[in-house]
Amino acid sequence: MLACLCAVLWHLPAVPALNRTGDPGPGPSIQKTYDLTRYLEHQLRSLAGTYLNYLGPPFNEPDFNPPRLGAETLPRATVNLEVWRSLNDRLRLTQNYEAYSHLLCYLRGLNRQAATAELRRSLAHFCTSLQGLLGSIAGVMAALGYPLPQPLPGTEPTWTPGPAHSDFLQKMDDFWLLKELQTWLWRSAKDFNRLKKKMQPPAAAVTLHLEAHGF
Amino acid sequence: MALFAVFQTTFLLALLPLRTYKSEVLSEPLPLTPESLKVSVNSTRQRLHLQWTVHSLAYHQELKMVFQIQISRFKTSNVIWVENYRTTVKRNRVLHWSWESKLPLECAAHFIRMRSMVDDARIPKPGFWSNWSSWEEADAQNSLGHDPLFVFPKDKLVEEGSNVTICYVSRIHQDNISCYLEGVQIYGERLDRSVSAFELKNVSFIRKKGTNVFCKVDQGGALGGIVLFVSKVLEEPKDFSCETQDLKTLTCTWDPGSDTGLSKQPSQSYTLFESFSGKKTLCKHRNWCNWQVAQDSQETYNFTLVAENYLRKRSVSILFNLTQRVHPMTPYNLFPKNVRATNATMTWKVHSIGNNSTLLCRLELLAEGKVIQQHNVSIKVNGEYLLSELEPDTEYVARVRCAYTNHFWKWSELISQKFNTAEAAPSEAPDVWRNMKMVSGHPTVSLFWKPLSKVHANGKILFYNVIVENLDKPSRLEVLSIPAPARSTELTLDQCSYQIHVTAHNNVGPSPASVIVISGDPGNEEVESGRVNGTEDGFSVSWKPQSGDATGYVVEWCDGPQDLPCVLQWKNLGPNTTSTVISSGAFRPGVRYNFRIYEISAKRMAHLLEKKAGYLEELAPSDNPQVVMSNLTSHSFTLSWKDYSTESQPGFIQGYHVYLKPKAGEQCPPAFEKTVLPEDSVCCKHTIDNPEQKTFVVENLQPESIYEFFVTPYTSVGEGPLDAFTKITTPDEYSHILIRIILPMIFCVLIVMIICYLKRQWLKEKCYPDIPDPYKSSVLSLIKSKENPHLTIMNVNDCVPDAIEVINKPEGSKIQFLGTRKSLTETEFTKPACIYLLPTEKNYSGPGPCICFENFTYNQAASDFASCGHFPVTPQAPPHQLGPLTSPENLLKALEQNYMNSLGEIPAGEANLNYVSQLASPTSGDKDSLPTNPPEPALCSEYKMQMAIPLGLASAPPSENSSLSSATLLGQGEHYR
Repeated sequence: MLACLCAVLWHLPAVPALNRTGDPGPGPSIQKTYDLTRYLEHQLRSLAGTYLNYLGPPFNEPDFNPPRLGAETLPRATVNLEVWRSLNDRLRLTQNYEAYSHLLCYLRGLNRQAATAELRRSLAHFCTSLQGLLGSIAGVMAALGYPLPQPLPGTEPTWTPGPAHSDFLQKMDDFWLLKELQTWLWRSAKDFNRLKKKMQPPAAAVTLHLEAHGF
Repeated sequence: MALFAVFQTTFLLALLPLRTYKSEVLSEPLPLTPESLKVSVNSTRQRLHLQWTVHSLAYHQELKMVFQIQISRFKTSNVIWVENYRTTVKRNRVLHWSWESKLPLECAAHFIRMRSMVDDARIPKPGFWSNWSSWEEADAQNSLGHDPLFVFPKDKLVEEGSNVTICYVSRIHQDNISCYLEGVQIYGERLDRSVSAFELKNVSFIRKKGTNVFCKVDQGGALGGIVLFVSKVLEEPKDFSCETQDLKTLTCTWDPGSDTGLSKQPSQSYTLFESFSGKKTLCKHRNWCNWQVAQDSQETYNFTLVAENYLRKRSVSILFNLTQRVHPMTPYNLFPKNVRATNATMTWKVHSIGNNSTLLCRLELLAEGKVIQQHNVSIKVNGEYLLSELEPDTEYVARVRCAYTNHFWKWSELISQKFNTAEAAPSEAPDVWRNMKMVSGHPTVSLFWKPLSKVHANGKILFYNVIVENLDKPSRLEVLSIPAPARSTELTLDQCSYQIHVTAHNNVGPSPASVIVISGDPGNEEVESGRVNGTEDGFSVSWKPQSGDATGYVVEWCDGPQDLPCVLQWKNLGPNTTSTVISSGAFRPGVRYNFRIYEISAKRMAHLLEKKAGYLEELAPSDNPQVVMSNLTSHSFTLSWKDYSTESQPGFIQGYHVYLKPKAGEQCPPAFEKTVLPEDSVCCKHTIDNPEQKTFVVENLQPESIYEFFVTPYTSVGEGPLDAFTKITTPDEYSHILIRIILPMIFCVLIVMIICYLKRQWLKEKCYPDIPDPYKSSVLSLIKSKENPHLTIMNVNDCVPDAIEVINKPEGSKIQFLGTRKSLTETEFTKPACIYLLPTEKNYSGPGPCICFENFTYNQAASDFASCGHFPVTPQAPPHQLGPLTSPENLLKALEQNYMNSLGEIPAGEANLNYVSQLASPTSGDKDSLPTNPPEPALCSEYKMQMAIPLGLASAPPSENSSLSSATLLGQGEHYR
């Protein structure tokens, strides 16, 4: 019995949920990730405008909503609300991480195809930021004790289109890439906001703390 | 049976050549039907490729044939193309033909068939067509997927300006399909139930990423599109030329024009092809390419530059001899060697060209940016040239460029080198001048010299040597060394004559000496003064030569206004010169410049010839003189402005205008004339045309009149500013006489007043004593003499009264003033209201026994009730208590009260309105012996005498208590006695 108690006490500091003394926990890193997501949302708005103009009409038209013909390999951000709600933290973070890993890869391919130097510069800058977001998500996962998803060998996404891929479809893919990226950033903001709220200490504790100060 | 079959076959094979031979011989045309027709589709190029053979030909036989090809679209009956294709046919040879479809092949099924005919001259008879081959179908639609909508051609690359047909294939057979070019809807032709075509004419380049064409089902959401890549038309390279720097490598350059690069098509490529050697190289750059010259000493080259992209080729050629296209490399190591004051040797090197080739180099020498020398030098590797005729201490730039001597093609690039020549001794004596003045009785010479120009200094001037030599007596030479950049020095000499040598020194040596001789006498010669006119170029100064042996002239002036320190300037002129133009950037309009012209004698001495003064441009005076007015009389006054300096004015003062404003309506004095001032006021003006006349007497004025005057100078340009006029009033004609009388009178009156003041006690005793002595009164004597000589002064003791009423007045009786606001009991006034014969002590408060004689003759209240009330008033009595007495009733009541009142108290000095009776108090007898402590209580007796009351005012009947024995009217003045 005593041995069991000792063992529990020995392992107590290793439990992430309880090991909060002196350690701010994943809260700040979730907040930073959330902020980075919002920043990327803003950055993408400008980049997408430039890139879609580069593709020309109808891709830069505001109401253009083509069918998702050739962009099947892109990770889908849209998900049923109930399904989204039922996701646990680990799955939520894993999906984010996997999605951005793929999107970043596609985006780098887009950068290689861009014809103008200015566009290449903007894309490269965005890729760097997205790489940062990926790192932040990895940090949050690590802080929560979740392992990073390992890419399966041979499934590294590539940007090389198939031989039947026409330039028009390629443009459609580019369009969908940017659109999906936008949706993912929007979804991530919601994900991290939810996670942030979840990780916050209970409000009652804060109240008590304040009262103690008052007295 | 089998044997029979073998025999039959052998027979037929032997018969076929025989038949062919027979045909040739007989020239009988045979129908040769195309066989093995195969059709393939090249979607990228939108071409149908046909291949077939003609098997019916004899072995090794060649025939010219014509093939008629029919192409149908959608169905075999819809023939859209017929073409005859002529070619030479060999047995078993596969024939090819291709056809480009305007309509994308994916949009429609195509059917092809052909027939043939021998078209060979060796067969004279006209041939006939073979049978048609069967229809071959080319249907690219089979390879399409299952999408509902397809648009073709996919990713087509066309040139700008070409026409393109676009079509769509719809699997859903709907009519509501719209197509758009760059977002703009386009309308086409429906070819089939599911196929429509659109012709785009004269397409233009929009962007590198291609022009988007897409079709969509309006409500279904199906969408298909293509990207049309429109390339710019490839331009022919311009300015194509080749040259070599070393006869080893040729460098060809050209202007590539606009880039046709698209994401679908890379930039155009350039290939250099040399026809003699048959070599070609693919250029790595868009606008230049290197070509290695072959070792086999090929001299002539024929280069063709081919520009190529996916759609077009353009080429341009040049033919040249290698040695005529030599553009040498830039020379190097250009340095000056042995640089002296007037020459320098330049050395440089060139890159060798071939073996023993010579280069023609051009050496240029520049000074201040301009080429001053140019030399051609032929060299092989090392160049050297001696540049001469250089100026000492001067910066030069040498530059070299070279060209191939055998055949000039181009100069090389320039190489430049800067260098300075060495210094030399100054080549010219400094320009020296002097100014002489006496300081403390000693002649002092200020020596000035101008710095040598760069041309003459030949280096940096370090110092100036001044050697002073006494000409009158032998003495040691005095040598002064003055470091540069000083430009003057001062020498104190004696009365002897001196010769002064001035030399400028640089690092190399001295300049020639400038010699000037100075006599000990400053010699303030009086010479003629004149004027000189200034022009835009300066002052044109001329003079008359005085002696025939002048070695030169010097014109001297100060460069600034007179009120500033003189910056001495001078100009040396030759002996035959009698005029010059003095110009200076420092000259300003409105400033007087004084010029002195000196003659330099053979002994190097300077004599003043003339003085000139002038203005570059005269201006109107800027200020007016301070005018002093004096000698003002009733008819004239004098104006003077002696302090006004005519020298420091902005022009030569020619005179003065005196303006006078007389009073309105008055004529101008005789010396004046009427004029109108700028502000339209009329005034009188007198012109003084002598600038040295600085006084003016204004005469013929009217006495007691106001005049305004104003004096202003004038130059040739105009007069001074219109200032304020000074006002002056001429005195009265007799005023001086009046002044002579009035002043002494005032003086006398003052003396009298002073005496009166000093003797005021005496005068008071004499003229208006406090108590007049009846015996001393002059009135008495006057009455005595005129009316009654027996009249005497009444003495109290002598007077027997008719009746004396003695009233015993009880103490503390209340006196109520009627008509007053409050009773006297309310005040401190508790004493009897009566007029005391004599003033009592202030501290006397209690009532005491007294006899009160009241003589109303002298009562101010009775005589002049309006002035004040006659009743005792203590000093503390409020003023408002006086008010009720201003009516006659009040007065009478007051009198009654006075009559009834016992003795009161009146402070001394405040009884001026009261009495004063001739009678003395019986108790005191004299005012000086006042009762100090009267016993109390005491009875008070009153004596009532006659009183004078104005009739008009004394309307109320006197009371019973106020019995009047007599009434006397006295003058007003008498009341105050």
